[in-house]
Amino acid sequence: MALARDAYRKLEEIVGKEHVTDDPAFLDSYAFQWLAELVRPKQSHFMPRPVAVVMPASTEEVQAVVKLCNEYGVKAKPISTGWYHWAAPLKEEDDTIQIDLRRMNRILEIDEKNMFAVVEPYVICAQLQAEVMKLGYNINIIGAGSSTSIVASACAYAGPGPSTFWMGNNSDNVLGMEWVTPTGEIIRTGSLGSGSGWFCSEGPGPSVRGICRGALGSRGAMGVYTKCAIKLIHWPGPPELEPQGTLPGYRLPIPDNFRVYTIAVPDWDTWADIYYEIYDNEIGYIFHRQFNLAGADLAPALWLTYIDPDKTLGDIEELLEKPEIKELTEEMRISFQLILAGRSMRDIELQDKILDRILEETGGWKVKRFCEQDMAEFTNMYLQRMGHKHMNFVWVGGYLGSWMQSGTPDWVKGYVPIAIKGLERDAASGKLVQCGGDALMGCGSQLGGGGMTGLEQFVSYDPADPESVAAGTQHMVDAVKDAVSNGFPPGKELLYLQVGQKDEEIWETLEKSAQPMVYHFQRKIKEAFDPNNIGDRMYSILPEEKG
Amino acid sequence: MALEDYRADALRCTRCAYCKWIPLDLVKSWRFSKGCPSIEYNHFHSYSAGGRLVTALSLMEGRSQITAPVVDSVFKCQMCGNCDVACKLCRYDMEPLEALHELRFKLVEEGHVLSRHEQAINSLEKLGNMLNKHRAKRGQWAEGLSAKDLTKERAEVLFHAGCRLSYDSDLSQVARISLEILGGAGVDFGIMGEGESCCGGRAYHMGYRQQYLKAAERNIKAWAEAGVRTVITPCADCYHTFKRLYPKAGSQVEVLHMVEFVDRLIQQGKLKFGKKVPMKVTYHDPCHLGRQGEPYVPWEGKEKKIFGQAVVYEPRRPRYNGARGVYQPPRNILGSIPGLELVEMERVKEAAWCCGAGGGVREAYPEFSAWTAGERMEEAASTGAEAIVSACPWCERNFLDATEQGGPKMQVLDLMELVQQAL
Repeated sequence: MALARDAYRKLEEIVGKEHVTDDPAFLDSYAFQWLAELVRPKQSHFMPRPVAVVMPASTEEVQAVVKLCNEYGVKAKPISTGWYHWAAPLKEEDDTIQIDLRRMNRILEIDEKNMFAVVEPYVICAQLQAEVMKLGYNINIIGAGSSTSIVASACAYAGPGPSTFWMGNNSDNVLGMEWVTPTGEIIRTGSLGSGSGWFCSEGPGPSVRGICRGALGSRGAMGVYTKCAIKLIHWPGPPELEPQGTLPGYRLPIPDNFRVYTIAVPDWDTWADIYYEIYDNEIGYIFHRQFNLAGADLAPALWLTYIDPDKTLGDIEELLEKPEIKELTEEMRISFQLILAGRSMRDIELQDKILDRILEETGGWKVKRFCEQDMAEFTNMYLQRMGHKHMNFVWVGGYLGSWMQSGTPDWVKGYVPIAIKGLERDAASGKLVQCGGDALMGCGSQLGGGGMTGLEQFVSYDPADPESVAAGTQHMVDAVKDAVSNGFPPGKELLYLQVGQKDEEIWETLEKSAQPMVYHFQRKIKEAFDPNNIGDRMYSILPEEKG
Repeated sequence: MALEDYRADALRCTRCAYCKWIPLDLVKSWRFSKGCPSIEYNHFHSYSAGGRLVTALSLMEGRSQITAPVVDSVFKCQMCGNCDVACKLCRYDMEPLEALHELRFKLVEEGHVLSRHEQAINSLEKLGNMLNKHRAKRGQWAEGLSAKDLTKERAEVLFHAGCRLSYDSDLSQVARISLEILGGAGVDFGIMGEGESCCGGRAYHMGYRQQYLKAAERNIKAWAEAGVRTVITPCADCYHTFKRLYPKAGSQVEVLHMVEFVDRLIQQGKLKFGKKVPMKVTYHDPCHLGRQGEPYVPWEGKEKKIFGQAVVYEPRRPRYNGARGVYQPPRNILGSIPGLELVEMERVKEAAWCCGAGGGVREAYPEFSAWTAGERMEEAASTGAEAIVSACPWCERNFLDATEQGGPKMQVLDLMELVQQAL
């Protein structure tokens, strides 16, 4: 498919010739997306090509591009830092203009007094964190890491991360948005809409958070978010992070008012008990089950390899044979990371005492090797900046997440054995990385203040090996069945699979979901805000005749 | 190797975009967080390492053809290697910079070349330098200095000035100072004078593999005939070429950059600074001395899988990720100079922003090259330093030009010039 030449010329007039392209190889660089091969015909690594890529530099240019899409009946798909197959066009038959927002990359304002920052879509978490730390503030960096767009996670997705327990999700922390709707109107939400500044997302002024994002976020399917205000959180650390050591395992010295621990428990019941105790006692600044993404059988060996610049993955097999590593692997088989931050020395001492008491009462322990200075400083670096999240792909370049359903720790621990058994079964063929059935990773809490968590099964496959890719796809199908047959809703894998499904398959799933009426309400919203259907189906709806 | 050998790298790229930034742990500000000049200047994803891997895949799969935009995206890059460092922060199975070289080789071999690169390559083939200068004038910088002529005599140590220092009159004093230091240290050394030939490194980075190989073979032969066992150069480009590329062409000589040689003299107590140099300076790590300056390790092996699918290499593959670049010797020297204050920029060592001169960009895309240098000068100026100091004449030339073209007004110095002031 190609864009009408007059439409292309109009795009050039809007953004300038040098900021629009329809060169096939350039378009392919946007069609190529992580996870595509798992759901596309013939395991293609390419999603459908956009008909053009355009790079606006202002809200007005975005608005003009969106209006052009309405005029020509072409879909509009915005992308900022761009990760996930759903960031690309979804259907071959839908002509789609990809709106690359990387020229909108400014931090517009940091309001120190009112504790928010206003950013454009291509500001990444690492940039904003570095700037606000100079003022004694921090931001929640999402689980996908600090290379990601703040606007995307806050306005178009959920935005949880290791610091959500203390700071909230980014979808909670958004204090106002500038939204170019699918028809090309500009809506400024919350207090901004009444000319009162960016301090509150819900008013005085239009409160449309639920309308434009739905439960999970519209993921590029409901217009374009061109600015947002994000809440700043107290940062009791130094004004600048000063990493030490040699890459890749940079280390961040631990200030006197911080503690960095890896904590282990004997069983999943204790795991849930400790989570509740941490919630109830309100200790902790960063709370995450991070290192287990490498799999419980291999994680200790991997991370000890990683922090040694002279070692590579080829050293791990030998390391695993060492008795002390075998012992460590068992010691921290069920473990998580917790960083405490005190606003004073008395505060950190109190938190430390509380943690010790919790461990004493529940039977948990601190993993000595991972609390030693080298690993603790590495843990501090990793979790404060979230600059190593590409380790998700360390084994072979392909990773997919299954499970990740959110709920109370007691509910989550219910699916843990099913998830473990499922991965052991699916990896038995050797077509997936065999890292132990438990490669479950996730935020200590997906709610500020605690109360709800979730664990994502990290499944590694080789994108360059068709049999491995097929095993990855099969695992997702299996995980859905495992969940449903055991009374759990499907997890993250279903979101991935749906990208490759036909509309009818998706509708069938939505019809059978716990609350199908939601998708009828969302259809009504789409009819009102996107009458020409320029957004794609990542904003989930059910047709009137369904369900 | 061929581009096809990097198909798996392309398929295993996850579009994480780390290649666009400095290692994220090292980000200290919005302004100086960017790592890749090409994507910052050109914006489309195709101008990043990840984007170029997709281009390679798209071409290999026959999904697209080599068009003018493709040629532009492939060559409008300094090959500075920031992408390689950032990618390997979390990956052991990717070689993005090597893949980009192969992509360039493919384009050149299929005739998709830039006219300005062709001019430089013609100069290399006819005149032995990349600057279209007379061969006979190559040794003029050394007039009046005492050094053996290794085209006629023999010595174990060769001083190689390189094209830029040989012909750039604003910079050639660096070569003269280096000779004085070598002489003062009592080293039995020589130069090739007008018989010196380009290292060929810039041809390699432009994608001209065969022309590079001819230059390498010519130099390796000349060194063997002169009995050379050690080559010392003040040029980071030549250093990288001799240290990392020549071993694959059969060279076995020891390679030192002048900063390594001077640092060694200081550590051995053979060089002491007597004069104060009361200046505040900042140091720019040249890409080819820093993150790409790691020593070559021979390897021949293959991929194998463990734990079902995890990729490792048999035997273990050397890891070039910027961890072992030449970072400390220049800083040791600066720290040894009395009265001198070193203030670091935000992007240093493996995260240094490129000067803009490499990869054929200075030759083919002068505006982009100047913009890149200007960005670095802005960063240098933000430290409050009076001078930006480096150890590569190509970087220094680009910085001098940026200063003249409206960049921040500050001195541009080679580290050897400060050494001379302190002696």
